[in-house]
Amino acid sequence: MSNEINCAATKDFFGLYLYGELSFDEEERVESHLDACVDCRKALERQREVQMALDNIAIEPAPSLLRSCREDLHYRLVEEEAGGHSSAKRGWWEQFTDALTGRSGSGWMRPAGALTLVALGFGISRLPFSIGNSGGPFQAGIMEPSSRVRYVEPASDGRIQIVLDETRQRVVSGALDNPKFRGYLLSAAKDPSDPGLRAESVEILNSSTQFADVRDALVFALLHDQNAGVRLKVMQGLTPFAQQPEVRSAMTQVLLTDTNPGMRKQAIDLLTKSLNQDNPAMSFDRQVIGAMQELMQRESNAYVRQRCKTALESVKASTETY
Amino acid sequence: MAQKTGGQLEETALIRAAQGGDRAAFEQLVRAYDQSVLRLAMNLLRSPEDAQDVYQEAFLRVYRNLDKFRFDCSFHTWLYRIVTNLCLDHMRKRKVRKEEPTIVATAEGPLDRMDAVPEERVDGDPQRYLFSGELRKRVKEVLAELTPRERMVFELRHYQGLRLRRIGEILGTTEEAAKNCLFRATQKMRAALGDFV
Repeated sequence: MSNEINCAATKDFFGLYLYGELSFDEEERVESHLDACVDCRKALERQREVQMALDNIAIEPAPSLLRSCREDLHYRLVEEEAGGHSSAKRGWWEQFTDALTGRSGSGWMRPAGALTLVALGFGISRLPFSIGNSGGPFQAGIMEPSSRVRYVEPASDGRIQIVLDETRQRVVSGALDNPKFRGYLLSAAKDPSDPGLRAESVEILNSSTQFADVRDALVFALLHDQNAGVRLKVMQGLTPFAQQPEVRSAMTQVLLTDTNPGMRKQAIDLLTKSLNQDNPAMSFDRQVIGAMQELMQRESNAYVRQRCKTALESVKASTETY
Repeated sequence: MAQKTGGQLEETALIRAAQGGDRAAFEQLVRAYDQSVLRLAMNLLRSPEDAQDVYQEAFLRVYRNLDKFRFDCSFHTWLYRIVTNLCLDHMRKRKVRKEEPTIVATAEGPLDRMDAVPEERVDGDPQRYLFSGELRKRVKEVLAELTPRERMVFELRHYQGLRLRRIGEILGTTEEAAKNCLFRATQKMRAALGDFV
């Protein structure tokens, strides 16, 4: 019944009504009144517009502020850890190194550290190379570099018996839907010593981006690989996923931090390619808009600047940053 | 017991790793939430410096007390309890000092930080521009008049999109009390923006 609450009381409820936070009964009373009251329906529409206008005063922190916060926090955490303030347990590596250097207060770790050191020495002795041995039998081609003499002993017939430890290469073949097999390629894609190997691995992985671990590895490479050629290949692989939040976030990082202008061009093209012409405001999230606004202040590449400007204008966002 | 989603399982694994001393896991956890934390602090405090202080203090407190987190509530709720308490402290101190936090001194004279916020383009419509500018001014005034708790509830509901039940959990109160708070805030907004409504 429209008489259950009057216009003033109905309007009082508008805020909660628009947030969907009224109880069932309250909402029922408001809607009954609205059904019968043209003035209140109009007032509700105006209230809705005002509430939508409130969105426009929201401040989106500049990406540079977020980066600065993260960097400061990182250093504070390192300090905290060094000062032993963390309530979290210390990692095994920290405990181990403490044990070796005598920093650890826990007595049991010292013998454990020493024991591990012996084990490491034993393991290293089994590796197919000698530290500090330049040349020798490997260089002379007498022994395979993957061989090591384990021990020698005279045999009964006057000959000498030598026991070799050998590490052999082996060829494995398989398909990328096998997680273990895929793991080899994911590992190769991160090999810091060989950009060629990384590029080839990425090229193969690009065909298997349906696997989340592959996409994670590609995003990691996109942000951290030192070689621009590898990063460009990664970009190709991630192109079909430009709409996914984590990929968009990575592209945004590329836009802001990648020193290679070719990468920034690719990133802006991908981020703006998906512009929804019918409803451009739905195309970008705040992070992307903030990044483009920040980029407008400092981007040296004219193409990237122009693309940012056009994209910001199309979503009616300011080309300046806060 | 409700089944956990993949994301929740991943978060639980990160929390456990961080509790075990894995700083990288902790920083990954931070990155899942820090943008919204910074946005909340920035919008409540309207000062990049204060927002940065809240960000640092909040995550350091989380780091120092992570072993006390027992999964009794979601990590988001636990984190936001810390963040909202820090923001409320800041806002209460300002109320006591009767500061006008949005005004800053610049080389060109006093500048209102909110005026530097990018505004919706009005495409040369002068009437709409005036409406937008006037509305912004009124909104600023009424937001400054809300009590810290009203301001907080309004911010969490309107800008962070949290439901009142969750807001109640975060602020250590009931859903009903959060609702009353939001009701008062929207009433004040309506009264101040009467010309627009």
